[in-house]
Parts: sequence; C-alpha cells; structure tokens
Amino acid sequence: MGQVPDTREQITAAGYACIARFGPTRTSVEDVAQAAGVSRATMYRYFPGGRAELIDAVVTWEYRRFFLALYEALRGAETLEEVMERGLMVAHQAIEEHEVLQMILRTEPEILEPALSAEGQPTRELVAEFLTPYLERHELRPGIEVDAAADFLARMVLSYMGSPGQWNLDDPIQVAELIEVELLSGIVPISS
Amino acid sequence: MRSLTPRQFSSYCLGVDSAARSNAVVVPLRPVSTPEVTKRVAIVDGALACIAAKGLRLTTVDDVARASGMSRATLYRTIPGGREAIIQATVETEVARFFSALAVAMGAANTLEAALVDGITTSARWLSNSPALTTLLEVEPWVIMQHISFGQMDRALALAVDFTGPFFGRWLEPAQAARAADWAVRIVTSYLSNPSDTIDLTDQIQVRDLLRQFVLPGVHALEERNRS
Repeated sequence: MGQVPDTREQITAAGYACIARFGPTRTSVEDVAQAAGVSRATMYRYFPGGRAELIDAVVTWEYRRFFLALYEALRGAETLEEVMERGLMVAHQAIEEHEVLQMILRTEPEILEPALSAEGQPTRELVAEFLTPYLERHELRPGIEVDAAADFLARMVLSYMGSPGQWNLDDPIQVAELIEVELLSGIVPISS
Repeated sequence: MRSLTPRQFSSYCLGVDSAARSNAVVVPLRPVSTPEVTKRVAIVDGALACIAAKGLRLTTVDDVARASGMSRATLYRTIPGGREAIIQATVETEVARFFSALAVAMGAANTLEAALVDGITTSARWLSNSPALTTLLEVEPWVIMQHISFGQMDRALALAVDFTGPFFGRWLEPAQAARAADWAVRIVTSYLSNPSDTIDLTDQIQVRDLLRQFVLPGVHALEERNRS
C-alpha cells in the first residue's frame, strides 16, 4: 500500500505473471526481464542463479501470498471450530481453483519442491501460530498444551487441505465431521 | 505371519506372476525361490545400494550391474526394460517389504491402540532406517515429495488405507477403519516429510502419548458409533 516495491519483488511478481501466461517450462529469463522492465544484467544481479533461482523465488513468493490471502479470508472467524471449518474449505477451494498451481502440478510439479520441503517447516509453524490464539481462547481437555495442540492441528490441516483423500471438503457436513473427530476430539471437551 | 521376515515376504511376492506383482501386496500360497527370483532380489538390492550412495538421478544400469555383481546381459535378461524397469521393480519390492513389516507389527497387536501405535512406529522405523530413502530425502526430495503432495497423495493414501484398513477392521466397521487408516497415514507422512523437534515417531512411548492425546479420543468416538 503506497510502498514502492523493491526491484527483487518487482521481478518476482513479473516472473509469476509470465509463468501464469506461458507456463513454467516456457518461461525464460528474458521474458521475465522484459515483463519486469529491467535489463538482463539487473536480473542476474538479483538472481545470480538464473532461471532456477528465479522460479524458486516465484514459488516461495506465491506460496506466502496464498497463506496471507487465506489469513485475510479468515479474519472474521471467532471460534476454533469456525476458523478450522472456514479455513479448510477456503484453503481447499483456493488450491483447486488456483489455475497456476494446477497448471504447474500438471506440467512441471518439481518446481514446487522448495516450497514444499525447505519451506514446509515455516509453513507448519505459521499455521500453528495462527491457530494458537483460537486455542488459547477455547476450553481445552485436561492436560492439553496449546503448543502441542497447535502443532498437531497445523500438521493435520495442511495434510487434509492439500490432499483430501476420501473427504469432500466442499461439503460443510463432511468438513464439520472431520473437524469434530479427526481434528478436535482430543483437544476440546465433548460438546454437550 | 510373525515368523516371516520382510525379505522372505518380498521373495514370495516376486515369485507370483507379473500382474499380481504390480499389485505389490500379495500373500502367495507357497514360498517360491528360484534362481530368477534370487537374481531379481540381488538386482533390486544393488539398485538400493546405488540409490543410497548417490541418489536416483545419477544411478545408471551399469552401476546397478556392478553393485549386484552381475553382467549387463544377465541384468537385462532378468529384468527386461532397462533402467525404468529396474527402478520400478525396486520400488515395488521396497513397497512390499514395507507392507510386510507393517503387517507383522499390526497383525500382532491385541488392541486398537496397539495396532495404531505399532503400525505408526513400525512405519516410521522402517522408513527412517532405509538408506535409499534417507539419501533421496536429502538429495532429491522431490522423488518422494511428489507422491505425498496435493492430489498425488490420494494414491498413496488409497494404497495404505486398502492395506491397513482390514487390520483396524478387527475393532471398527469398514468405513470407520478406513478413516482411522487414512488418519494414521497422514500422521506418518507429516512427521516423515516435516520432522518434529519434540516428537520422535520411532519412539513407542512418545507415539502412544501423542495418540492418547490427539487421536484415540476420536477413534473411540468412531468405535462408539459402531455400537449405536
């Protein structure tokens, strides 16, 4: 907002636009330099590793943006149950409808590796941190520690939202059932 | 079941016809040990040694021939189809070995809690003790990650649920057993791809405590539904 994006950010955003338009395989360093309005020399100053480094940066950038948008969408949620329910549905839908992600999964999924492995740890911590205040406000079963519960929930949420398996996460009834049993039964007291 | 080592089990599996073999988890009626099976196992173990040493991408057919102590010609005769076929045979054999170890552990469990705890710890131990898998996760994680990410994980989940579901079926209705199995698979893949500082999934006590806190209350809720 009103901030001048730095050159690195500008190149990364242009990289994302190019991948969205041409696909990851057909995006070259030249395309991105042109789209960002910078010279090849500038490009290599910011991304000395060339195309591979640029693509890693784009993936990580979009990954972060995805989660920021998700947090934004969940801002109004009040209870733990509500944030889990909306979070799972919104995240799953966002993954399904993320055209660029789906195209990458079809064509060159290996470029997602940095986001899924090296970034895996921070993502889990980010989700756990996000859930912590909801856990702190909620009545918990005896002996349940907030940190451990947040870590477990983050692991499960990330697993189900990316790969629902036998669950239909577009169905609110199934989502509520999943949350009640698989996600929260050990954490919150049985509701009367 | 308990007297069967994973290696014996995989030899059994490899002795059955190729259609059944691609199904990986097959319990044959009688043991089969022919020179062809022995050679096949030697090739697979050679390939595993190569992958453990330098990863998948750099492993060539020549490397595998050298590591398994046979000529290229014998190797091609035993597993026709070149590098691709060798890799496939290696994956299938390892999957069969993994599931046989899991079957031994889960089959011996006397309670639902033990089936979950022993199933998870056995999986974690087997996976973390595999030198080939350890190298892959270090140098070419994508080879593994792609099978447990996004829609691709559905296949791994379905395979694991088909295999472990019946073990849970001793205590749960089939639909609930599949749910419990799906849940357990997610725990294993999460801690495998994203290790925890506080929980070691190969430690039986730690896993038992983790499950008693976060999983067993839900599993018992599923059990209750069976009764009602």
